[in-house]
This record gives sequence, structure tokens and C-alpha cells, in this order.
Amino acid sequence: MKLFDYVRATSTGDAVSAGGDYIAGGTDLLNLMKDGVEAPDRVVDINALPLGGISLDAGVLRIGALARMAEVAAHPAVRHRLPVISQALLDSASPQIRNMASISGNLLQRTRCWYFRDTAFACHKRRPGSGCPAQDGQNRWHAILGGSDRCIAVHASDLAVALTALEATVVTHRRRIPISEFYLLPEGTPERENVLESGELITGIEVPVTTLASRSRYLKLRDRATFEFAVVSVAAAVRLRGGEVDDVRLAFGGVAPRPWRSPEAEAALKGGPLTDERIRAAGQALVRDARPREHNAFKVELVQRALAQILGGFR
Amino acid sequence: MIVGRPMSRIDGFAKVTGRARYAADQQVRGVLHAYLVMSTVARGRITAVNTAGAEAAPGVIAVFTHLNMPRLTVPAPTHGFFKRYLPMQSPDVHHQGQPVALVVARTLEEAQHAATLVEVAYDARRPQSRLEEVMNEAFVPPPGSDGPNELTRGDVAAGMAQAQVRLEAAFHTPIHHHNPIEPSATQAIWDGDRLTVFESTQSLMNTRHSLSQAFGIPLENVRVLSPFLGGGFGAKGPVWPHTILTAAVARRLRRPVKLVLSRAHTYTSNGHRAETVQSLRLGARRDGRITALEHIVTQQVSRTEQTQFNSSEPTRMLYAIPNLRSVQRVARLDLPAQSFMRSPEAVTAHALECTLDELAYELDLDPIEVRLRNHADVNPEDGRPWGSKYLRECYRIGAERFGWSRRDPRPGSMRDGDMLVGWGMATAAHTAGGRPGSGVTVTLGTDGKATVRSATQDIGTGTYTVMTQIAADVLGLPVYDVSFQLGDSDFPEAYTSGASATVPTVGSGVNLAGTRALERLMALATAAGPLQGLPAARVAAADGYLFDREQPRRRVSHRAVLRAHGRPIEVTLTPPAAPLGYSTGATFAEVRIDPRTGRVHVSRIVGVFDPGRVLNRKTLRSQAIGGAIWAIGFTLSEHTLVDPATARIVNANLSGYLVPVNADVPHIDVSFIDKPDPASAALGARGFGETPMTGVTAAIANAVFHATGRRIRTLPITQDRLL
Ligand SMILES: Cc1cc2nc3c(=O)[nH]c(=O)nc-3n(C[C@H](O)[C@H](O)[C@H](O)COP(=O)(O)OP(=O)(O)OC[C@H]3O[C@@H](n4cnc5c(N)ncnc54)[C@H](O)[C@@H]3O)c2cc1C
Repeated sequence: MKLFDYVRATSTGDAVSAGGDYIAGGTDLLNLMKDGVEAPDRVVDINALPLGGISLDAGVLRIGALARMAEVAAHPAVRHRLPVISQALLDSASPQIRNMASISGNLLQRTRCWYFRDTAFACHKRRPGSGCPAQDGQNRWHAILGGSDRCIAVHASDLAVALTALEATVVTHRRRIPISEFYLLPEGTPERENVLESGELITGIEVPVTTLASRSRYLKLRDRATFEFAVVSVAAAVRLRGGEVDDVRLAFGGVAPRPWRSPEAEAALKGGPLTDERIRAAGQALVRDARPREHNAFKVELVQRALAQILGGFR
Repeated sequence: MIVGRPMSRIDGFAKVTGRARYAADQQVRGVLHAYLVMSTVARGRITAVNTAGAEAAPGVIAVFTHLNMPRLTVPAPTHGFFKRYLPMQSPDVHHQGQPVALVVARTLEEAQHAATLVEVAYDARRPQSRLEEVMNEAFVPPPGSDGPNELTRGDVAAGMAQAQVRLEAAFHTPIHHHNPIEPSATQAIWDGDRLTVFESTQSLMNTRHSLSQAFGIPLENVRVLSPFLGGGFGAKGPVWPHTILTAAVARRLRRPVKLVLSRAHTYTSNGHRAETVQSLRLGARRDGRITALEHIVTQQVSRTEQTQFNSSEPTRMLYAIPNLRSVQRVARLDLPAQSFMRSPEAVTAHALECTLDELAYELDLDPIEVRLRNHADVNPEDGRPWGSKYLRECYRIGAERFGWSRRDPRPGSMRDGDMLVGWGMATAAHTAGGRPGSGVTVTLGTDGKATVRSATQDIGTGTYTVMTQIAADVLGLPVYDVSFQLGDSDFPEAYTSGASATVPTVGSGVNLAGTRALERLMALATAAGPLQGLPAARVAAADGYLFDREQPRRRVSHRAVLRAHGRPIEVTLTPPAAPLGYSTGATFAEVRIDPRTGRVHVSRIVGVFDPGRVLNRKTLRSQAIGGAIWAIGFTLSEHTLVDPATARIVNANLSGYLVPVNADVPHIDVSFIDKPDPASAALGARGFGETPMTGVTAAIANAVFHATGRRIRTLPITQDRLL
């Protein structure tokens, strides 16, 4: 690990002007630093900032940036009004990590793509211009949607998938960003993963508390029972009226470089009953533009099955 | 009897309180810290190294490369150095993750940091890492220590002609890594030309011989200490270059040096279970009797190693197959040397046991019945009887405990709500013993207590505990008056903790040396005092007393006899080679599969085993449970993946290499026949550590077939294969 300065910020202003990489729980940043993937000159500890807490107010749930994953998952308002968030968090990592890890750090965790995480490999995200060995390499876990010739790494956060389905807003020390605009697709610049400017500090998340959101669920499929990232995942919120889909939000994890919203799949479901046929049509709409690689073609089928399974539970 | 009791581990308290000092925990005054720089190409030559930045980094004492590493002798493979070359002796690179530089610094962190500053340039060639692309280059290696790699028994063509049903199946198993919780570690301390190493090793013997050869110093000048291991699973049985390199730089620097492999380093430094491609052809009569079997195994080896372990034991020994052809082929790839990993035979056993399940379906017979009809009453290799073998009882008891008779054999016929339920079974079997005896010293002190020493290892299996139990029983002492010591090469030389050989080779030594010591004690006791004049046959020992069998109150304590004698009794011996035993069992698995997503969950495992006499039910059960958990990983989630362009492992860590978590592990019901094997000199116990994983893999795969009607012959059975 490279030597670095350590600063403990006591106010938001201090943190922002300190000019370094923020560290919250450190459960991702430290691993990346140990592996040489990130090598900041200065690390700014934000844990002393007053950015914790969870509150429900005027139909909006506010989650402080430094609230811990475990705390948010267990919060009664989250469990009852926004169950998909609680489920996505409880399906993430391990109890120990959830006790340490912050909500802001979770949203900004880097991809688990092994080519990204091993500095012996080329990686456009890590070293722009160096190459993307995942394209023809071990790409079982990689993206089938939204990737580019420069990057097919998937975004690893389960929480981000849930928040995408719920149309949350990311609040920073100077602006509010709808989560649908927060993450960027790689295209030619996979090193840029989100719209945050250098030094921009996340202060919290806001989630609208709606009846749709109270009917939300998370389904995560993975290669072992717990403590593993998604092979594919789905966050779904469905409101039925008279047996027909009145409103629906779907977001998918494990399939794309960012949490994947599919307006086409949602459109295919709206205004009709949740029949097998309509669910199948939604799945097909979701994967219409899928571009699988050598080892991940199964995700095209699996994500549709995951969608069918989660929607089946709403019938 | 103390043997048989489910005694808790003697070293358990020290381990859970942190008092047990593992190799890297030993406090060595003035020790320097080493860290390896590994090659990032798989095949080629180093053209330039720049160590200036590393040498200038804070705390750095020295940076070694092939240019300045002391010249060393490559140890012979006879003592477990299989690689046939030492890195950093030339610019040649044979695989990714080969040491190309070694940084020594005052602290670990400084060494790690400086290691990132070493710049290495290569002339690299495109590596080959895909086994399927080199199948036509595969060859049958010359016979190794475990016999020929091509074996024919009877006449396969004739056997096939007699067959009424014929099956063919191809299997594929991936690379696996051991992942013991403790990575390999070495601390090397020189005193003139005498070397002491603290090493995490399954073989003091191999380490000592290899170090003596590498440095050209007498064997007596090398002392290896390894009192505790955080698991080995075969990773630490052979000797690997990092141990020798650490000792080499310690000698050059005249300072003790410590090296601990990082988790990623262990993936290219400790061997692995090789990828295999297997093809089976089997012929049988309608009554289930197998008439012929051909089993051809092709596996990866590195560019450098010559020694080849033959994993075909199950094919050759498990069933009475009159006409057999067993071929073990290898193909060279630009990957690190493969090596032993717990139950190396599991790969062939898996293919065989899955094929037998296919045969059962083909014949419409119960899978247990098929196995009974081919039961080997004698060792098929040499026609000699087994010491004992209670496999038939294992099938019967296992079937009862599992509820096998309630199984509807039709695939897909059993359900639990939306879940498909599958039941499968397979035979577990592994040889044990057949290895040279291990030296043991028994000392009965004037305080009446016994010290038993052997240069063996406790790799976490319970050696400390069961040897203490054996010694206590044999000597007639309470366990707290027996101290069993291991992990020091100054003790009598013992065999490697591998091949399920520790109980047979060391246990027989403790038994024999203990018996001799007791005989001498009895001779003293019957020469004078309360037992004077009694014939030896009338004297027995228990609880610290020698007594008259006919009048147990006529007795004298060990202590009194020894105190009167005025000096200790000491017996050192190496027992004869332990006979080859065969520890078998029957394993049953239940799976639940979500038909929508293909996820397999193992919901129940039953195993009934015949390990000979049970020395300690608790430690033995732990072996069975551990084996079953290994089997779950082997069958469902573990595989090491290699980048095809660079031959570099992409998941060299515990976040990408998926070992089972608790939630993947169901209740495991373990029981034992517990009848002594008369051929065993270790009080009737056989080795057992590798048996329990061999059956469970196929039991799970067969259960997957039963649940879904699909034969998945490629491991691991991840959900994508069942969509
Ligand atoms: C073994 C393991 C398994 C895991 N499994 C899962 C899983 O299944 N699902 C899942 O979703 N996640 C998983 N994770 C990831 C885990 O959730 C993240 O590591 C964690 O959420 C990061 O939070 P942190 O507070 O520790 O972030 P840190 O490591 O402290 O920071 C991460 C990044 O966020 C930045 N950052 C943090 N806070 C702010 C802020 N307020 N403003 C601006 N930038 C900020 C940091 O600069 C850094 O770049 C796993 C992690 C591990 C180690």
C-alpha cells in the first residue's frame, strides 16, 4: 500500500476542502488500496460528520450518508414502507460488513470485475487505454446490457438496484441528483462511473414513500446461499388495481454496468393482468438488446426467470 | 478405555485463546520481513529488472532477483519438491505468479510497499492454459511411486462383448484450491551453517530434507518446527520454493527472515487440484454385474514437473471389475504445478460413482443394489483379503438413517411445494496407510508421567489428541499424565501428514513404543514390590497403576516403580510400514432445486463410515463433516478460473473463489461402524481424513439427476447448467 495522509474531518466544509478520497466504513476503499487499485495521496475520514440517521418526514425517507447498512436494514419504517431496501441490504455482504459499511460507500463501491481488481491486468476503468480482457476472458459475471467495447463490468451494489426501482434521489453537499441520472454507462469512458464531481460529498439519500414502494421486493440469485454478489437480481414494485398492473417499477442488478431500469419491460406489464404471457413479454423486452459474451449468455435466460419468479409473487 | 471417547482437542484451549503459536506467530528477535514479487506473465524470460525504487523505499534492507539470489541446489522430488526448478535462479518464467523478486524490509508493510516498486520487463510468449486445446498432446507419464499410469486387468474388449448394456460418459472437473485459513509461512534463522525454520508444513521430513539439499548442509543441521497448522489440505505437504528462498536470503543477510504468503500468492505457490477431462466406458450385464470398465483421465501438469500422482485408485480398487483399463494421462499447460489436495481421488471417484448411478437407471435397479452386486470382497488389485471391510453394513445403515426405501426413483417425482427434491447416494472410499512407519519416542519419567514424541504434525485433524489417547491406553495412564509432542524435527522422523496415513503410521508407532515401555516397566514392577514374582501376563495397567489381573487391589503405581528405578524408561522405535487399509462408507444426499432458477441447495447429508476402530468420535466426526462440506463446494461452487489470454488466475481470493458458507451446509448425519481392523497396528484404527469427501460429491450430483432428470457431468453444478 502506498503511503498516504490521513485527515479526520469534523465538518462538511473541512471534508470538502481537505482534497482527498473520503473514507466511511472503509470496507471497499481499504481493500482497493491494499491491492493497489486505488492509491490516494490523502484519505479524508468522514465518520465524525453529522451525516447519520434515518428519518421519515412528509412522505420522504431520508437516510444519512453515514447510516450503516445494518441500521438501515433493521429500521422499522424501511422494513414496512420500503421493504425492497431492507431486503436488498440483508442480502448484501455479511453481518460484520453491514455493521461497518455506510450507505454512501455502498453506492460508490467499485465493481467486483476481477480484471479491474487485479493490477496485473489491463483495464480501461483503471488505466484508460490499456484494454479490457473481460471481453474475451472470464466473463461469467459480466454485463449483458449497457456494456461497451471498453467495459462490461457490472455494478455490484444491491442497494443501488433497490433505490433505482424506488426512484430515490442522491443528495450531495451541493445538489440533488435523481438516481436514474447518477450512474453512467461506460461507453468510451468507463473510468467515470457516476456524475459526482471531484470532492463532491454525498450527504444522504431521499426515497419517496409511496404505496407502490410498500409493495416492493428484492430477489437475488447467486452462486452460494449468502455472502456473495448477485449473478442477477431484480427489485420490483408492483401496484395492482382490479387485477391489472396499475403501476410498476423494475430494476435489475448483475446484468449491466449500472443498476438497470427497463421502461420497455415496465410498459409491457402496465395496464394488464400479471399473466405468464405478459410476464414473458416483459422479460423479452428487457433482454431485447442483450449482448452476451462467451460465458454469460445464461444471464439472458436467468434474468427473465428471476423476473418471472418475483412477479409471480405479486399475483 | 480412553480410546474411543469423544475427547475434546487437547490443543483446543490454546488455539481459541491465541496461545497456540503458528509459524508466523513465533516471536523471533530481530526478524526481517520478506514479501514476494510475482511474475505477471506465464511464459517467457525476464529481460530487465529495476529495483532502484524498491531499494530506496523506507525500511528496505535488500531486494533480491534472479541476478543476486544465492545459487541453490534444486532438491530431489523424492522428498516432495516436485517443481524441478527453483525460481530466481535464472530469468526463465514458467507460470504466472512465480516469484521474480523478494523484498526484505524492517516491517511487513514496508516490504509490501517496496514490492510494488520493483519493475520487471519480460519477453513474453503467448501461454496455453486451456486443457481442451491440448488434449491431443496428452501423454501417459512413466510410472510414479503409486504404480503404472496405464493398467489393464483382464480383457476389456471381451468384457464389453459380454455386456448387455453399455454406457459412455465424459466428465470435466475444474481447478480447485485448498484455501487453508492459515497461508503458508516461513521464518528462517541461521546460526553459522545450522538452520532453524518455523514452517507451516504437513511434512517436517520433506521440509528438512529439501532444505538440507538446497543448501548442501547435513540433515542434522536443519531443524524444522511446526507445532500448529491452520489447515493444510495438501497445500503444505510438498515443499515449495518460497520456503527455500526465505532461508536463502536469511543466510545471505545474516538475519532471521519471515515470509508469509498473501492469499493471492497461495494460489500459485502451493499447487492445486488439477483440471481433469475424463471418459468412461462401462459394460454390464442385466443383473448389474459390471463386465468391463475403461476409465481414461487426462489432467493438467505444469511445464516443469515430472512426478505424476495417479488418481485412479477408485477405478482400480472400489469394485470387483474383472476387465479393466485405467489410464492416467497428462497434458502440459503454462500453469503452476498441480499437486495433492485432500482426497485427490475424488475427481475419479466422482466420475465413477455418477456413472454407476447412470447404470442403475439403465438397468432399473436400486443404486445400492448395483454397488452390492459389484462389491469387492477382496482387494481387486492383488486379490488379497482386506484387514476388514464393513461397506455392506454402511449401505444398510445409511439407507435406514436416510429413509432411502421411501425414494421414488423416477426423476422429478419428488417435490416439496415448488421445489424439486432429489435423493442420491454414492460410495465413499479412500486408502489409508501403506506408508513407512513413523518414529516415536516414549519416555516414562520418574514422576510417573509419559512424554511421547514424534516429528509428526497436527494439521487440525486431532493428532495431538488421539495420540495422547492411544498412549494413555497403552501405558495405562490417565490422559493428563501423558504429554504428546510433535512438530519438531529433532524428534524421531515421521511420515508426512497426508494420504490419510497419520493414524496408521504414527498410531502404530505410539502403540508399539508404548507397549515396549510398559513391558520394561512391568519387568521392574515384578522384580520387587507388591507385584514381585507375578508373571507378566498377570499384570495389567490402568489409571496410573500396574495391578494383578486376578486381584486388582494388589497394585503399584507407575510413579512408585519409576521412582524406585531412579531413572526414566525410554523407548524409541520406528514401526514397520503400515499396511494399506481401505476406509469406506456410504453417503446419501438430498437436494432441493428451484426449477425456475436452477439453484441447488443440499438439504440433508447422511454418511455411514467404516474407519476401523474409532479413536475419538468427536475428531473423527469433524473429519466427516469437513469432508461433506468440501464435497458441497467441490460439486456446487468452487472453481479456479484462468484468464485464457494470460494464463493468470482471476479469482485468487476468497471473494471470487466460493467456498461454502454455513447457509450452504445442511445437517450432516454421521455415524461409524466402529469395529477394529485386525490388520492395523494402531489399535485397529485406519486413516480416515480423505474418505468422507469422496462419496458425497457424486451423491449430490446423483441427487441433482434424481430431482431434474439431468446429468450434469461438468463441475461445479452452478445454476446456469440447470436452466
Ligand atoms: C466480502 C464483501 C462482500 C460484499 N458483498 C456485497 C453484496 O453482496 N452486495 C453489496 O451491495 N455490497 C457488497 N459488498 C460491498 C459493501 O457493501 C461495500 O464495501 C460497502 O457498502 C462500502 O461502504 P463503506 O462505508 O465501507 O465504503 P468505503 O470503503 O469507506 O468507501 C467506498 C467508496 O465510497 C466513497 N465514499 C464513501 N462515502 C462517501 C460520501 N459520503 N461521499 C462521497 N464519497 C464517499 C469512498 O471515497 C470510496 O471511494 C461486499 C463487500 C465485501 C468486502
